[in-house]
Amino acid sequence: MIVVEGLRKRYGDVAAVRGVDFEIESGEVFGLVGPNGAGKTSTLKMLAGLVEPSDGSVQVNGLDPGDPEMRKRLGFLPEESPLYEEMTPRSYLEFFADLYDVPDAVADERIGSALDRLDLEVRDRPVGDFSKGMKRKVAIARSLVNDPDVLIYDEPASGLDPLTTNTVVEFTRELATRDKTILFSAHDLYHVESVCDRVAIMHEGQIPALGTLEEIREEHGDLEYRVYADVKVDGMVQEGDRFVTVVESMAEVESIRERAAAQDGSVIDIRTRESSLEDVFLEVTDQAARA
Amino acid sequence: MRAGQTLRIARWETLRSVGSVDRRTTIALVAVLVFVAGLVPVLLTTTPTPGAGLYRVGVDASSPYAAVIQEDPELQAVDPDLPLEPGSMDVRVVGTAVYVPDTEKGRAAAGALREAIITHNDAVMTQEDDQAAAFPVSVTLRYLPQAAPDIAGVGTGTDGTGPDTGAAGDGSDTGAAGTGGDGDGESGQPSAEPDGGTGAAGGPIPSAPIGGILGTTQTGTPSAIAPPFPLRSLLLAFLFLLPFNVVIQAYGSSVIAERINRRGEPLLVSPATRADIVIGKALPYFLGSIAITTVIAIGIGGGLLSIAAVAPIAALFMAATFVAGMLARSYKELTFVTVTISVTLTGYAFIPAVFAEVHPIAAISPLTLVVNDLQSVAVSPGEFVFATLPVTLAAAVLFSLGIGIYREEDMFTQRPLPQKAIDALAAPLRSRLHVGLWTALFIPFVLVLELFAVATLYILPVSLSIPVLLGVVALIEEVAKSVHVFAGFNRARFPRTVRTGLVLGVISGVGFFLAEKLLVITQLVGLPDLEIGQAAFAPEVLGVTPAVLLLAPLVLHTTTAAISAVGAQRSRIAYVMALGVASLVHLAYNLAVVMTLA
Repeated sequence: MIVVEGLRKRYGDVAAVRGVDFEIESGEVFGLVGPNGAGKTSTLKMLAGLVEPSDGSVQVNGLDPGDPEMRKRLGFLPEESPLYEEMTPRSYLEFFADLYDVPDAVADERIGSALDRLDLEVRDRPVGDFSKGMKRKVAIARSLVNDPDVLIYDEPASGLDPLTTNTVVEFTRELATRDKTILFSAHDLYHVESVCDRVAIMHEGQIPALGTLEEIREEHGDLEYRVYADVKVDGMVQEGDRFVTVVESMAEVESIRERAAAQDGSVIDIRTRESSLEDVFLEVTDQAARA
Repeated sequence: MRAGQTLRIARWETLRSVGSVDRRTTIALVAVLVFVAGLVPVLLTTTPTPGAGLYRVGVDASSPYAAVIQEDPELQAVDPDLPLEPGSMDVRVVGTAVYVPDTEKGRAAAGALREAIITHNDAVMTQEDDQAAAFPVSVTLRYLPQAAPDIAGVGTGTDGTGPDTGAAGDGSDTGAAGTGGDGDGESGQPSAEPDGGTGAAGGPIPSAPIGGILGTTQTGTPSAIAPPFPLRSLLLAFLFLLPFNVVIQAYGSSVIAERINRRGEPLLVSPATRADIVIGKALPYFLGSIAITTVIAIGIGGGLLSIAAVAPIAALFMAATFVAGMLARSYKELTFVTVTISVTLTGYAFIPAVFAEVHPIAAISPLTLVVNDLQSVAVSPGEFVFATLPVTLAAAVLFSLGIGIYREEDMFTQRPLPQKAIDALAAPLRSRLHVGLWTALFIPFVLVLELFAVATLYILPVSLSIPVLLGVVALIEEVAKSVHVFAGFNRARFPRTVRTGLVLGVISGVGFFLAEKLLVITQLVGLPDLEIGQAAFAPEVLGVTPAVLLLAPLVLHTTTAAISAVGAQRSRIAYVMALGVASLVHLAYNLAVVMTLA
């Protein structure tokens, strides 16, 4: 379980994170979305113990992020894929397995399994020869050599081609089924929407929206009604042999129904459309910016 | 720090570094090492003759000078019938007449020929049965530390008087052997017991048991006595320093490589602590340095003492490089800094060692221990501690400071060097008492810098060197007491109030005062027996009562540290100005003490 209370981070005169509170339950997949500079990476680094908070507290499974015991149970994937490029994937992963006290036989099995699952077949060439996607896979495999309980991924699919992105998304989804607590940030909202149990939207160091996707949509999103009629009511446009308009409430739908009936016509179809996470994200950040 | 993690990181650092060197580079490196290894024995067995055959002397084989020219390597006998002109002949000898052309080289050749004749004649005279007739004048030199009142050679002429150089001519109880002994010391300082042979020298002789020649004697004809200079041992000792320049380049590159593209970030979230990582990554290079040192020691006849003496230098080279690697923003910047480190530390180690035979100042350098080891001169534990402890502690403190900024916020940002330096200084200040602790930890640097100042200034006249040194010492100590206080205020570790400044200043001053007692190790080698040594390390000790001895420096250090700290809590400019004031107060104190007690 991750508990974040009043978390703040200043870099000189710049406030990167300005009072953030949230909790993540064990086994939950939690997404952190927001525009560039919103404070996502700073927040994740404070959770991973990489950066010291200016104020507030972080507890991961009851431990301070800097605690070596906590670190043994943590898998962290930074935004870039920093690797020792002169090492092969296997030797690089063996090095980290060694640091985490993973027995050789177990490490061999884990490394082989992770690389198989991530479709990384080239394992004995220096990492420096690899493409960005291949390096990302090695970095993801590194985050798993210690079989962590908590995974913190910063933009795991950032800058990858669609095929590799899909592999990473699928893999993240698979990890979620293994009862791991996962916290990750992403620009790709599809990734978040398809994997996360809950989402926090960050903007300028704060979290203006947090909850399940349904809760956020309910609070910040729109429900649209696309109403089709066989007669033209004021505001409708013709679409083929019928007329259509978009309204935002059932009251308006009823009004259209009554006016169509007055012309001896009727409403022949009503379709609803929920806001996507992207729509909600834009709405929330727009609201926060205006506030 | 945990040994297991450290050793794991060290092992992988070794594998990674070895793996990063391609085959061609490996072959080239091995070839260079083999070449150097082959060169050392050749150098050891060969006497260099840089001027061999320099002057061409036209001489007939029947000439009495033919043998002289044959013996001297600088002179080359040529056909006397050749023209006496540049390129053919520099000097011509016909019978006992010497013809010298009016050229610069001709005059130099004639001088060399004259020296060769004198040497030859001396050699012939030593074969005589009656040596007293052959050498009516014999000189015995006794070597003493420079600052001793009876510093010059002890004249033991047969006429019973010393030389006119101001030396005591009394023949001390440990003095000249054999040829003299009955002088009365009239031209030197008066002897307490001018009875010749048993009398003590005119003044106290400091016990500065450095070098192989102090306290010993040289006896012979004036032309046969050469000043002591351990050139061969010194050059061999210098061999130990050369590999460090290569090692720190590799180590520095490894440190900065962790920072380029954030490669070291995953290690920072691993269970390894920052100390595990830093020490683990440094260990292979340090052990490599020691391995090379051992090979050199075996090659040139050094022993464990040489290795133990050089190890702290290796550690200091690496510690300085580590901090440089943490602060540099690029490989280019790192190269500039490592060259500076290399030159500075080589100077610190090498320059004092040049005086290994003649001056106590040499005791500050671990290389002096190596020179003594190579010359089979005994080294006391005190001398060993004096030469190696400051260097060792300085290395430890530098590593500690570097570990303080071995963190995400400092490693991967392109912040200016002064900002990172301030981060490094502020990082360990977790409470007010840490200010005093870190002031105390800076003492090794103070000691090293002050020793270096002594080593570089002692050649100046005392009337000039002591005031300059007192100023340098005051500035060094005031910076050591306040620079981290400034960093602490700058990084908001402490509230910016005058009261806090005063409190931190007092804590820093007390920390310095307590740790300053470390300087007592200078007593181990008699350095305070030198006037300049007294000025640097013990201006307050001469003839002062114990209470004053205890309280005066304490009051001084707390007062001046408080002045600087009050400025530091205000602004950078205020700090610089306050530091200047504090240094002047400190200088005035030192000058007052020295002048009063002089």
